[in-house]
Amino acid sequence: MKILSLICRTRDLRKQMEQSRSKLYRVAYSWSHDAALADDLVQETLSRALKNADQLRDPELLNSWLFRILNNCWHDHFRQHRVMEDIDDVEDYRCVNPTTPEDMHARNQIVDRVRDAVSRLPLGQRQVLTLVDLEEFSYAEVAGILALPAGTVMSRLCRARRALKDSLQELAPPQPAQITQIRRVK
Amino acid sequence: MKQDQTISDEFLNAFIDDQLDPAEKSRAFELIEQDESLKARVCELRGLKARVRHAYLNPPQPARAATKSWLSGALSRQALAASLFLALGSVSGWFAHNWTGYGSDREVMRLLQAVQRNDIGGDPRKLMIHVGNSNPVRLATALDEAENLLASARHAKRPMQVEIIANGGGLDLLRADASPYARRIVSMREKYPNLDLTACGQTVRNLRAKGVEVRLLPDTGVASSALDEITLRLKQGWGYIKV
Repeated sequence: MKILSLICRTRDLRKQMEQSRSKLYRVAYSWSHDAALADDLVQETLSRALKNADQLRDPELLNSWLFRILNNCWHDHFRQHRVMEDIDDVEDYRCVNPTTPEDMHARNQIVDRVRDAVSRLPLGQRQVLTLVDLEEFSYAEVAGILALPAGTVMSRLCRARRALKDSLQELAPPQPAQITQIRRVK
Repeated sequence: MKQDQTISDEFLNAFIDDQLDPAEKSRAFELIEQDESLKARVCELRGLKARVRHAYLNPPQPARAATKSWLSGALSRQALAASLFLALGSVSGWFAHNWTGYGSDREVMRLLQAVQRNDIGGDPRKLMIHVGNSNPVRLATALDEAENLLASARHAKRPMQVEIIANGGGLDLLRADASPYARRIVSMREKYPNLDLTACGQTVRNLRAKGVEVRLLPDTGVASSALDEITLRLKQGWGYIKV
């Protein structure tokens, strides 16, 4: 009987994990803005989750557990690619050059504009913002996933939204300039 | 205006994210009700949140074939098998996958959605495995999966019916003259009488029209098309996975 319930539990777990795939992908994409990398990260997250399924004590916490693994995979990815690209360099480059060629390309649509603005947020702020906005995690859950104090989550979120507001305003079409009426003066 | 300054951005963010406790929330409602500029700030934050959500509603899907994985090759094969295994849990999780490559896939997707809407639960004892790609890894994965399922069902003394449906490049699996696994399939058939093989008639016709001689493995059924067969099986309550 015990074995049966265990089998049922693993089965449910697999089912739930598979259902989380699109959520994980969305967040991984919002962190990396690279479809192939996001896909790899999700694949790696799910395979680690499967391997360590027995570490999950409370199935209720599956979702935040999966996102915690995603965060670890994301950090591992940068650790592995340290020689090739340093995340600080990328961030620095973005700060110094607000318009990369990709940005120029992404100007036309609202969706692209927002993604572009999100991608220019510092990594820590980007992670908090997307977990709260896309997955509706509570601040406490985000603190658990990213291993941060709750206060940091709140302040990062606040700064992220402020920066986002500013950069989206910058991108908005400029207000038409005041047209000076030409009057004939006799 | 005075109140506006006392309300921090953190507080408003927590308000729109529904992170305040009930007492704070009702206080926030009162304050916002009275103050136009606060109302504007809340609206702006809500709009921002909605825009972020909207921007990632449909993130671009990776082009699977061209994906250069940062995982090692061996690992990605494992990952492929793992993802396939995961898909067994339920048909519903399948939508997140994007193994597209053939036009008919869209049709299958539409059908699956219809089936899901009508809440017809897949029978876990009946499963089709659809192969539409001649990639040997995929072909092998299809056979591995079929064999694992049948073996574990036999071990648990559960009835299990598996049907491998091949179309497009996947037809190679069932071609006597082209299948890399002909001998394995024949021995699997002998071992498990509840394994069916079905070839897509449409693909066979197309190949013959091109002058390719198609010889199928013994006891392979030919459906009018893979799509017809899948439709029929879905209606009969079969589960579906695509390799």
